[in-house]
Amino acid sequence: MNRSLESPPQAFSTDPWKTRIDRAFARALLIPLAVSIGLLALLLGDTVYRSFSVQVVRADEGPGKTYPFGLSANEILRQELLARGYTEEEISSSLQDPTERRVLLLQNRVELMWNTQDGPFRYVVTGLRDERVEDFSLAEGLRRWNELKANLGEGERLVLNPWLDQSFLTRPPSRSPLTAGIGVAIWGTAWVLSLALLIAIPVGVGTAILLEEYLREGTLNRILEVNLRNLAGVPSIVYGLLGLALFVREFGLGPSILAAALTLGLLGIPVIVVTSREALRAVPESLRQAAFALGATRRQVVFRVVVPAALPGMVTGVILSAARLIGEAAPPLLVGAAAYVPFFPNGPMSEYTVVPVQIYLWVSMNIPEFSRVAAAGILVMLAMLSGLYLMALYLRNRFRREW
Amino acid sequence: MVSLELLKDHETVRSAPVTEAEALVDVRRLNLWYGKKQALYDISVRFPRNQITAIIGPSGCGKSTLLRSLNRMNDLVPGVRVEGEVLYEGVNIYDPRVDPVAVRRQIGMVFQKPNPFPKTIFENVAFGLRLMGFKGSELEDRVVEALKRAALWNEVQDRFRKESGLRLSGGQQQRLCIARAIAVEPPLLLMDEPTSALDPIATQAIEDLITGLKQHYTVVIVTHNMQQAARVSDRTLFMHLGVLVEEGPTELIFTKPKHPYTEAYITGRFG
Repeated sequence: MNRSLESPPQAFSTDPWKTRIDRAFARALLIPLAVSIGLLALLLGDTVYRSFSVQVVRADEGPGKTYPFGLSANEILRQELLARGYTEEEISSSLQDPTERRVLLLQNRVELMWNTQDGPFRYVVTGLRDERVEDFSLAEGLRRWNELKANLGEGERLVLNPWLDQSFLTRPPSRSPLTAGIGVAIWGTAWVLSLALLIAIPVGVGTAILLEEYLREGTLNRILEVNLRNLAGVPSIVYGLLGLALFVREFGLGPSILAAALTLGLLGIPVIVVTSREALRAVPESLRQAAFALGATRRQVVFRVVVPAALPGMVTGVILSAARLIGEAAPPLLVGAAAYVPFFPNGPMSEYTVVPVQIYLWVSMNIPEFSRVAAAGILVMLAMLSGLYLMALYLRNRFRREW
Repeated sequence: MVSLELLKDHETVRSAPVTEAEALVDVRRLNLWYGKKQALYDISVRFPRNQITAIIGPSGCGKSTLLRSLNRMNDLVPGVRVEGEVLYEGVNIYDPRVDPVAVRRQIGMVFQKPNPFPKTIFENVAFGLRLMGFKGSELEDRVVEALKRAALWNEVQDRFRKESGLRLSGGQQQRLCIARAIAVEPPLLLMDEPTSALDPIATQAIEDLITGLKQHYTVVIVTHNMQQAARVSDRTLFMHLGVLVEEGPTELIFTKPKHPYTEAYITGRFG
């Protein structure tokens, strides 16, 4: 009796080696996960780190005065101009004139800067000739902060510059890293992407509905299926070459937003077709049967039952393909995204640049601080992509269906 | 055990045959093929008005196929071929001039697995009515009426406009599907094993509902549950291997089957 309690019967005893191997295997599977998370964190951390730097700047003209955080740019300009002897009327009239205002904003960098010595955030207004004297990485700059502060020359200031700030998002690009911004590229991306989706969504969704609901079985369907999957895997630069030959040269659209939108639209169509088809295929056959049994025509079945039921999946597919299109640099480079576009795009035929191309150009500049500008640009782009993915996630959960 | 050869030229055994005047649907020498495979052999049968007819038989005997050929749902299967006539109110629904969509508006159908649309309860019931052009208060009245007839009204009256049909329980979903089918007042209602996916209590509720529907509708129900056929139906058809072996009033089929196969099946000695 006692003995059997001490040692359980043979049939139920565990093999210690098997358990150990199992556990080791389960742990080993965590290694690749940890490695990939670590690499991603490293990449993101490095980019964030690079987007800050400690700088010694000299403001020749501008007083480099600091203003409390929370004041509007207009208000700061007003105070700044008042200090320079302008009258209130002159200031308000020049602030209302858009051209004048832009010149003022360009000349007087209104920046959110981190003035570590005198409280957290301050606006620093500097003149046009605000020049970088030295640029230090975050770690070095903070370590040598007091030393640098002590050795400042006449009219020089020491600032911690977060390159990614509010005005970086709205400024046009510039030859000087201090005044370079990503605003024009963001607008270019918005234009190109929305036009591309305007082209790709109707074509892609329409094709998917035709193939999935009308031509279900058939040779044509099978041929198209294979080709679409292949097209979805074609390198994007091939689409870029096609766009260059066809839209830019043949149709004479030139290096315009429209040419880029058409090219990216073509690139997006196969992805949208494939994801929409999967969404349509996920709608159970029983729903179609139910609608047919109620005397619906095929068109009514498709548009009143199947498409509404498949819509969340289709929207998710469209967003994911949009996320892919945002990140494409090769096709816009080929169809004429320009290196330096100082003006915001104002129509489908205007010059443009897009965010990934802008980042690529900054990375290849030979002024070292452009690497900081590029880091800030990469952060903007990651934020845009994360936004899209979160939207897709939200929609997927919001409209989750149980059949 | 039973080969097709033995049944091929079988003459259906009929007790108390339905007269032409009583029949809402009159199937005449119906043959049906899926591609090269023949699924129905020379079926001739009449379905009487305001009665419940059950179709029983082992799996793959063609009972669902026969049911689906009554509202031309088989047309949706690729490669299907039909010979013979199905007269509905004296009109052959397989006449080339007949629009299958119009046929399906006249004949309601309830499926084996509850299949509500991913829409609100109201929109589910309103679907067929909207196809027929109902709008406004008339639409609402008929939706409520259908929910009442399907014995679902009491359970959903406070939430039927907002709640998705998919959030109901299995039995409620099936009653919703019945409400959806009867909302358009189809004279004929086809049911394809409507309780096979449900538990006994939900089955009980559906069976009570079906018996009550008899006043307004003619019902044809396919079932693989013989007790169910015995409980709800007035007439029973026994099919085997695509052949209609025997048909007659339910009590007769279950108490004094004439054909040996029918007897073997209802006593459970089959297959």
